[in-house]
Amino acid sequence: MTAYFAGIDVGSTMTKAVILNDGVVASVIGSTGPEQRRLANKVMEEALKRAALPFAAITYVVATGYGRINVPFADAQFTEITCHARGIASLFPEAKTIIDVGGQDIKAIRIDGAGKITDFVMNDKCAAGSGRFIEVIADTLGIPLNTVGDLSLQSKNPAKISNICTIWAQQEVAASLAQGIPIPDLLAGVHRSLTERISTMVNRLRVEEAIVVTGGGAKNKGLLKALSEQLGHEILVPEEPLITGALGAALLGKEMAQRAKLKDAPLKTKERILEEIEIF
Amino acid sequence: MAEEQKEAKPKKRMTATQAAASIGPLVKEFITGTLRARAEGKQKLAYTFIVCHHEEILRAMDVVPVWTENFAGICGAKRDAERFLQRAESLGLSRSLCTYALCGIGFDQWREELGQMPPDSPWGGQARPDVMISTGQILCDPRSKWYQASQQFMPDVPIYNMDLPYPMFQRDQDHRDVWGYYHKYIVKQLRGLVSFLEGQTGKKMDYDRLRELTDLSDRTWNLIDETYELRGAVPCPMGTGDAMNTMVPLCFMMATQTAYDFFVNLKKELEEKVARREGEVQQEKYRLMWGGGLPAWYALNDFNYFNSKGASFPVETTYRMVAPLTKMDIPDTQDPIEHLAWRWLGYWTFWYDKAKKRPGSEPDVERLINWIEEYKIDGIVMHEAFSCRTWHVGLIWQLHQLAKIYKPIPVFVAGKGGTKEKVYRELPSLILESDIIDITSYSEVDTRNKIDAFIETLESNRISKAS
Repeated sequence: MTAYFAGIDVGSTMTKAVILNDGVVASVIGSTGPEQRRLANKVMEEALKRAALPFAAITYVVATGYGRINVPFADAQFTEITCHARGIASLFPEAKTIIDVGGQDIKAIRIDGAGKITDFVMNDKCAAGSGRFIEVIADTLGIPLNTVGDLSLQSKNPAKISNICTIWAQQEVAASLAQGIPIPDLLAGVHRSLTERISTMVNRLRVEEAIVVTGGGAKNKGLLKALSEQLGHEILVPEEPLITGALGAALLGKEMAQRAKLKDAPLKTKERILEEIEIF
Repeated sequence: MAEEQKEAKPKKRMTATQAAASIGPLVKEFITGTLRARAEGKQKLAYTFIVCHHEEILRAMDVVPVWTENFAGICGAKRDAERFLQRAESLGLSRSLCTYALCGIGFDQWREELGQMPPDSPWGGQARPDVMISTGQILCDPRSKWYQASQQFMPDVPIYNMDLPYPMFQRDQDHRDVWGYYHKYIVKQLRGLVSFLEGQTGKKMDYDRLRELTDLSDRTWNLIDETYELRGAVPCPMGTGDAMNTMVPLCFMMATQTAYDFFVNLKKELEEKVARREGEVQQEKYRLMWGGGLPAWYALNDFNYFNSKGASFPVETTYRMVAPLTKMDIPDTQDPIEHLAWRWLGYWTFWYDKAKKRPGSEPDVERLINWIEEYKIDGIVMHEAFSCRTWHVGLIWQLHQLAKIYKPIPVFVAGKGGTKEKVYRELPSLILESDIIDITSYSEVDTRNKIDAFIETLESNRISKAS
């Protein structure tokens, strides 16, 4: 009988689920919102639907991300640091540095040749450098978020954005726009400012190639270009950079199940029920 | 108004030792002792700083030290610093300056404005001084500037500014070639302090008493070293959380019989715990070193959180402000002032010779390596307090250097051709970020998320460690 494993990553902005056996069978991405438990439930339901599997077919479920404790059906929890490392090591065995540009924070993780974490840093104090920074700027400029990257690549003369605080940068961008600075130049300037923040943090880790970028930020071509220039290294990006944490969680679940089987030990699991839970 | 904004009381931290649990009343007593002395008016009170090797002089002259860093730390630990920080900010001082100093300056300004202690001052407040003894410590300019700022509100209180340098580490030079010059200079500074206090108190220094107190301190130094070495036992009988309490007699009560007796009792308690194999954490899984940085005083409960994950802290570089005199290569002298100066130099150069022997090492890194081995350490935790440069500059560099020159964890990895290869992995480290007393810089959720990730890294190493 085929064994399936699920990983669910409840991030600050997006919730992601992956179901795998020998490879990924299904993946789902949804926005988190405040009712994490209820949404975790829905994302899991959707993933099962796509995989055409009943929940009972899942051998083990691992939750990760900020909302990992709000996943009532998870059999185990791991931090997003461990899960990103595991997920990326499976996709890019040569990876040494992972930069996750998430909605509300940035993480940088160093892994060794065996895919084990040797060091990590997180910026959780300030939105500067995170995906939220770009969301605020896109909103100020009145442009859709998914066009930010491509537009910034049209820039010939990136603007200088000196404020690193998201709120002050928003005002600086609005003032620069009023002065007639073209939107592509403003966006390129914003990316430069953002990547300066990111690289300052990442350099604390002694960056080594290969560098992989994950999270929503990895979908922004302008950000990737600026980050690559800033770090002076080529950057790799997974096919779907949002699901690497959930993928890592599912892989960790698979390894736990395999270890238990090897030791002939029972695998403690929760009841396979997906119910809506009222928490507010 | 700022004075109304008191924060929620923190939960009490669980201690592993009776000695650490007894610290609260001890601190309260010496704070109220300074208030009593102020009211009685028989002794002079001196604002001053820790780690200056001058306690013996103060106590021999019957001058009561008022440890201003201690009071700021108490405000932080009681989560009652914010209103004093805001006071200092309203005076035009930036929040990015030393928050100990800001808290103290804000408190002083308020006390002087009212002509009495600010409302609900922690443990009755900080007594007004007769003199202020500031002592820069190479990088720590707040230790000179703080009292100059406070003097604006207390223009009648004189300052004696003492300079205590030590030779910097140079791989190609023997510090002993130059330390004689430093010694002469420090002796002059200490003798200057004696004359200043003689002028202020109207008393002459009793050098026999000074010699006795210096001897008492020396014995306490050696005793502390012997006591803390007991923490190397497995399981570790006392962690860094407790050491953040036992730093009180170590830093604020030196040259007193109370401090000596405290460590006699602590040593006995630890010996008994070691004999019973009683640990800070009973199921000890990971042994960590607090490798640098002053603690977030309002978040000492985080040590309990580490403990709940099976992690203990047998050793810390912070507040281990003593080194065994028996292992210190300093000249003998019968002059207590000269001895204090030699002890100062001996302490700060303690790791120099060892560091020179290891390529790429530096004294701070060498101390980490020695203690990693001595205390069987699995990982290092540091705290970067944004407002303190003195103790926090170079922490990341130390970790980088350590990772470069020292890889102690043997693991097997799949090598070329599918064979198992033994390699050595660097020690995992965690840098926590917040402040010594500014709670607005701290998030418990994020801090604990980082701790969880660090514990997972340690666990992963534990599983893959080659036997």
